[in-house]
Amino acid sequence: MSVVLRAPRYAGIGLVWAWRLTFGALFPTTCKYEPSCSEYAIQAVRKHGLLKGSALAGWRLLRCNPWSHGGHDPA
Amino acid sequence: MYLLAAHIPVLSPIFDALEAVMRHVLNWFHGSLGLGWAWSVVATTVVVRIILVPLVIRQLHSMQSLQQHAPEMKRIQQKYKHDKQKQNEELMKFYRENKINPAASCLPMLLQIPVFLSLYYTLRHFATNFLCLTPATRVLIPSGPNKGQLNAACEAIVHHTNLSFLHFVPSIADSTTAHWGGYALLVIYVASQMASGLFMAPTAQRSQRIIFMVMPLVFVFVIARFPAGLVLYWVTTNLWTVGQGLITRRLVQRTPAPTAEKRSSRTPPKEDDGTSENGASPEPIAPKPAPAANARPRQVRRKKSSGRRR
Repeated sequence: MSVVLRAPRYAGIGLVWAWRLTFGALFPTTCKYEPSCSEYAIQAVRKHGLLKGSALAGWRLLRCNPWSHGGHDPA
Repeated sequence: MYLLAAHIPVLSPIFDALEAVMRHVLNWFHGSLGLGWAWSVVATTVVVRIILVPLVIRQLHSMQSLQQHAPEMKRIQQKYKHDKQKQNEELMKFYRENKINPAASCLPMLLQIPVFLSLYYTLRHFATNFLCLTPATRVLIPSGPNKGQLNAACEAIVHHTNLSFLHFVPSIADSTTAHWGGYALLVIYVASQMASGLFMAPTAQRSQRIIFMVMPLVFVFVIARFPAGLVLYWVTTNLWTVGQGLITRRLVQRTPAPTAEKRSSRTPPKEDDGTSENGASPEPIAPKPAPAANARPRQVRRKKSSGRRR
């Protein structure tokens, strides 16, 4: 796939890294899922593109709540 | 520093809504309860943290069940100690099967972001959008030598509003570095952020704990450009985290035995590599006296409320 077509994905991955380096670094929490929510977001965007990947990542974040049980959940 | 996201057309209504909500909340604390503006910020923070308390209690319960299952988990860790990935997966599976909530979840953490953003925008626009709400006073002088200044009527209102915090921060709407009090607040911020980092992740590995110590020192340069009220929010929420951690420790009893497995899995003793793996393990390795030593799996003694009900 050409770099142009992949550009949105890179943007999305960049956003995740921006999060990791700012707020993410301030809140020392470990995720209950494997891979962690941010890693999942990166994988999902890389695999499915920005739109579907973001949707998947959003759904994962919603599942990552105190009432769920976590576990192995790859993108 | 201006957060760019607010200028994206799709997002700006969301930011406007967030700001409006925060404005109402602050107004209520100030108008109805008679708190000063700075204390209204503190009160808002405390309310947010009170809302999150049920999550903390859940967390406490999962710490308890983690402790109960410690021997089985140790077995899994021993079994896959050379394959971190596999070990993680197996542990996660174990959690799921035994309905344990092992770690904190991401969502509660994210819920604090809207609060932070709304406070940021409210404080940034404090004078124009908040204090000078009547049509006569809200207008900014758009251009000319006094560009960006408030008009006289609004200026007067702002001038007569007490935005100070405990007499050492003159205005919570001003940039933190505008006054020495702001620098003092920043020092408190760094200390509280470090402390809360240690409390939020007591079982974290050493390298991670170093990050929590270094990160506030980096972040302080960013936060210095925020309105002082925002730093006040951080300080309050950090101090709450620390207080909560202290109370949690009180509620929780230390139990003697199965403390060392986290450490020992990280740095397995040399003789474990070979033959004596099966039988030798029950001898716990004494943990080093680290600040996190108190925070091993523990037992919740009893909640106060259950006693009162009887």
